[in-house]
Amino acid sequence: MRTGTVLSALVAAGLTVGAATAEGQTPNASIQATATVLSALSVAAGNNLVFGNVTPGVNKTIAITDGGAGTFTVTKAASSGVTLSFTLPTNLASGTDLLPIGSWSGAWNTSASTAGATAFTPSPAGTNTSVNAATALTVFVGATVSPPLGQAAGNYAGTVTMSAVYF
Amino acid sequence: MRFQLLVLLSALAAAPSAAAQVSITGIRDLTFGPVIVGIPSSVGPSHPTKSGRFRITAPLSSKVQIRFTLPDALAGPGGAQLPISFGSNDAMAIGSAPGSTPITFNPKATRNPQFQPSTAYDVFIGGTVTPAGNQQPGSYAATITLTITNF
Repeated sequence: MRTGTVLSALVAAGLTVGAATAEGQTPNASIQATATVLSALSVAAGNNLVFGNVTPGVNKTIAITDGGAGTFTVTKAASSGVTLSFTLPTNLASGTDLLPIGSWSGAWNTSASTAGATAFTPSPAGTNTSVNAATALTVFVGATVSPPLGQAAGNYAGTVTMSAVYF
Repeated sequence: MRFQLLVLLSALAAAPSAAAQVSITGIRDLTFGPVIVGIPSSVGPSHPTKSGRFRITAPLSSKVQIRFTLPDALAGPGGAQLPISFGSNDAMAIGSAPGSTPITFNPKATRNPQFQPSTAYDVFIGGTVTPAGNQQPGSYAATITLTITNF
């Protein structure tokens, strides 16, 4: 009986201690909030896309490797990729006269050279570059003009716009 | 009698208390990814890959309170600070029981999830970072803690 009393006291003490521990528990866990701040993107126009003289009835193509290719320069953060999007004309204009233009070609490179450049087709939908360490990209643009036989003589021009956003 | 008391004492010592079975685990970081200087960027709590995520498990009918400890800024290169804020709907909890409905709540307030019928809750958190126009580029991070209080 004496043993029973002692054990009962121990049991009661144990329960009391246990309850106090339960109320005092504050389990926790942590995660990280992370972000990578990138410098602002900038796009600068470089060379105009120049076809020079064209002959009515004869298509003329400027390839991205040609001297007349248009260029843009993108300044970006290292270790990032960008989406290149274009607004492209369907005609060059000389007053009310129009000169059809199309068959756009493009390439981007981390240097100002077409050697080793990555080809793509410029489009409003956009093209992703690779994620790369460069802080500048050069984009080359070519196209084809298609003057019909009756094309009016004159100087024709249109605007090619490129935009870039991080992806 | 002596034998019975010893058995009872052993059983009580071995049985885990309800409180001991409450657990919390950090599952996923809140990841904003690339953000651009001068442009705020938000991640909602329901974002499938970028929202932060914790998992709480507790016995059925447990009464607990959860509380976030939230940073005001993420720390970056050279001691730079990237402000982070949390809106009134930037936290969300959903129970593990079939048919559980997600509940959005203010991460700056405490919340008492009901562990009935679910015995596990996933708690998600989003937020907004606001890089300044002259924010130092680089990687930023801070700690978000979720604490459970039993009562």
